[in-house]
Amino acid sequence: MKKINHDSSYEFVIPISYGSTEVLETGKWGFQKPQTSFMTAPCQEACPAGINIPQFLYLTQEGMHDEALFTILRENPLPGVCGRVCFHPCESSCLRASYDESVSIHAMERFVSDATSNQVQDIQLISNRDSKKVAVVGAGPAGLSCAYFLSLLGHQVIIFEAKKEPGGVMRWGIPEYRLPKAVLKKEIQRILTLPIEMRTGVKVGKDISLDELNQFDAIFLSPGAGVNVPLSIKGENLERVWRGGEFLERINSKEKITLGKETIVIGGGNTAMDVARSALRLGSRVTVAYRRTRKEMPAIQDEIAEAEEEGVRIEFLMHPVKVSLLKNKRLAVKFQCMKLSGLDQSGRPKAIPVKGKFFTLEANHLITAVGEQVDSSWIPQGLIKSSLVEVNPSPKIFAGGDAVDQPRTIVTAIAAGKRAAISIDSHLRGEDSQEMYSKIRVGNKGAVSMEAYLASRNEGKWPEVREVISYQQINTLYFEPSRRVRMRKRSRKQALKGFSEVNVGFNSREARFSASRCFSCGTCNYCYNCYFFCPEGAVSLDPACRTRTVDFDHCKGCGTCAKACPRNVVKMEAWS
Amino acid sequence: MKDFMTGNHAVAHAVKLCRTPLIAAYPITPQTAIYEKLSEWEASGVLKGIMMRTESEHSAMASCIAASLTGVRTFTATSSQGIALMHEMLHFAAGCRAPVVMANVNRSLAAPWGFWADQLDSLSQRDTGWIQFYCENGQEALDDVIQAYKIAEQVYLPAMIALEAFFVSHFMEPVDIPEQEQVDRFLPPLDLPHKFDIDKPGFLVPVVSSELYRKYKHMAQVSMDSVKEIAVRVDQEFKKEFGRGYGIIEPIMLEDAEVVIVTAGSITSTARLAIKDLRKRGNKIGLLKLRLFRPFPVEAVQVVLRGKKKIAVIDRNISLGGGGIFCQELRAALIHSSDHPLTYSYIAGVGGTDVTPEVIQKIALEVMNRFEPFDQPIWIMEE
Repeated sequence: MKKINHDSSYEFVIPISYGSTEVLETGKWGFQKPQTSFMTAPCQEACPAGINIPQFLYLTQEGMHDEALFTILRENPLPGVCGRVCFHPCESSCLRASYDESVSIHAMERFVSDATSNQVQDIQLISNRDSKKVAVVGAGPAGLSCAYFLSLLGHQVIIFEAKKEPGGVMRWGIPEYRLPKAVLKKEIQRILTLPIEMRTGVKVGKDISLDELNQFDAIFLSPGAGVNVPLSIKGENLERVWRGGEFLERINSKEKITLGKETIVIGGGNTAMDVARSALRLGSRVTVAYRRTRKEMPAIQDEIAEAEEEGVRIEFLMHPVKVSLLKNKRLAVKFQCMKLSGLDQSGRPKAIPVKGKFFTLEANHLITAVGEQVDSSWIPQGLIKSSLVEVNPSPKIFAGGDAVDQPRTIVTAIAAGKRAAISIDSHLRGEDSQEMYSKIRVGNKGAVSMEAYLASRNEGKWPEVREVISYQQINTLYFEPSRRVRMRKRSRKQALKGFSEVNVGFNSREARFSASRCFSCGTCNYCYNCYFFCPEGAVSLDPACRTRTVDFDHCKGCGTCAKACPRNVVKMEAWS
Repeated sequence: MKDFMTGNHAVAHAVKLCRTPLIAAYPITPQTAIYEKLSEWEASGVLKGIMMRTESEHSAMASCIAASLTGVRTFTATSSQGIALMHEMLHFAAGCRAPVVMANVNRSLAAPWGFWADQLDSLSQRDTGWIQFYCENGQEALDDVIQAYKIAEQVYLPAMIALEAFFVSHFMEPVDIPEQEQVDRFLPPLDLPHKFDIDKPGFLVPVVSSELYRKYKHMAQVSMDSVKEIAVRVDQEFKKEFGRGYGIIEPIMLEDAEVVIVTAGSITSTARLAIKDLRKRGNKIGLLKLRLFRPFPVEAVQVVLRGKKKIAVIDRNISLGGGGIFCQELRAALIHSSDHPLTYSYIAGVGGTDVTPEVIQKIALEVMNRFEPFDQPIWIMEE
């Protein structure tokens, strides 16, 4: 050190130690120590598939797209599908919604799927010395999910699918503009890289009997709801009155369909919206008639909004009572006016007729979409309860998807397939699946974690169940308010030209920003707050190895790290 | 360039001209205008430094010390409760030999609450090892900041300039803002020999033995003592560059004075008028302005007060149980002068009360007629 001009008698102005204070084990002074314990984020709890959303968003933000995809694939084999057609309950539970606006989780799932390659990402099949044979009936979301997870658990699976291609409602129901067939194909191909045999064009109950499947160690039934519910009114069988499901299947089979100038669609669910928007694309003017009001429509809100943006007119409190053919070959549809009164058994407002009030609309076509049923005629009566297939008295037969699940959505079907795979695996191992479900639950809304199940199967130890984090446990002072990114869409004019996908998806800049908006509730995302705020320099983080260590010889237990953690991952615990 | 501005804004101008890279502060009335002006300039890009908005004055000072020890110029501004809260860190700044510069706007300390001028807040910090200047007006506040850096950075001790609430901080006066090139010429870039060295990591403020502690305290005292000389030199250099100088003390009409009024801060400007009037009426009254308070300019006051019969010190502060603090210091400084004058202590202007020319004249005339020494301070209690 240089000498000081005004005072040459001393060499230093200030004492500096070049030794270390490490010898002072200040850690021994403390009576509490920080522990990292992750919590379940409400989005993850709300996701029927229990996807670790904070984790996949963190990885996306870091640009680790393959790892992000792998995180999703551990719980859901169909991210490209769900990233497009899921009703995304995750976003309504997002804690960021209480702060500014929820994170665009739905669009992010799609981004991760679109940004990654076709291959299964090193998904570890567990070595199963006691591999069994399982038959899966139906290759819809539930059947594919069940087969996928059974395969991960080391079982041999054969899927029997009645139609000529797998996918169920995803293949034959949802139109191309919401779910491009190429995306679905890519996802099914990925599932089929696992040791799964797919037998299409085989209808169980016709081409092969259910009895013949008895040779399998277990059977999973996921027949799907393929039968359109009839209106049961006069004139329903007229030539120009079509069933919604059949209409969509014809479109998805690339059949050329000609529609007249005007079409009336009956119904308020997703099928009705799909039918209406498809009809628009075939050049027809479309009016949807629904017997309750907008609030009661079962369709996904986004779908309703998009349908209206494209020009679909929705009329409420109308119930068709009669269809007749006019001389000009148009249809006259007579409607009963309705009003809401009281609640029905399911707790929804009941629509009742307004006495004597009717009116008639004319159109070239009428398409009905008032619900679908499961064709269970091929299932022995003893296995059926209250018109639905339930997990049943026969110990080797399991069921899922539309046959058992409410609500009928893709993601609940996927979740059912996963639960069935776990039930089948535990059944085959002679274990009680009910008790086990409590150990692999993701929060308290019914989702289960395959990751936790696999961990226990691999290591013989159940991971600790994580509690669900609340908004009050987030330290929002560390977050800047921001707006969520809205996905870009094709213009109405362009969208209506054909069946090309309407939503454009995020570019990588939008995706990175959207991911960065995630609070990472209860999950460490290496924000380094604990590292920077630790007055002792006792915290070490290594994002590459995903490790967080505390030098307990020097951590005094001041709790600053716990206070500074924005996401309640660090907690102070008594030290003995 | 001359502009019409408050003392607070004059201080902000000085900080900008000194190219201070780090300002850490917490707002407090009546200092806030300094903080606001610098923030405004930071936002518009005029100020090249960083405004660190800390959660307390204690943290502001801690930040200044740490930043200073990386070898950069630092600044903070505070007042009253703020400097009281900073107290612990003031000792650290001096002990770490960090040449931090601070502007303290003199405001009464609670309780009871008050916002008005009173010098007790900074005078209470006289033993913390900080160089202290008391400013008469906005121009001097601006100039003192620039001088403070030059002095502090030669002796490695922190420096504080004190300006009274409202009388200086908020009164608008014409202030001459120096050109940037002039300030750059006058104030060389900071070179701190004991700054942190990344290549040789070390730990400051370790525990030291009693002997070492004594050694470092003694070294600091030697450095502090040298300020009396350095401050005179720096003021002369300043005058050469900018055409203005102040001296560490300023004797006004002292040659033939029988009674000397001693003031520090804004009361000086009032006293200048008051004694002019008294002189016209034939009274031999002089004025001594104290500008440098720490280190106390003992030798300088001994010289200018040699042979004087009576002095009256006007203090806008009260050390309870003691008296006016400037008076105490002055008495102590004169004790070894042979035939030293009788020293009268007047407490006036405490809590921001007005000290008018009439009050000063009354004090002068009263002292002229007093012949016995008086130990207790005399309170001016005019409404």
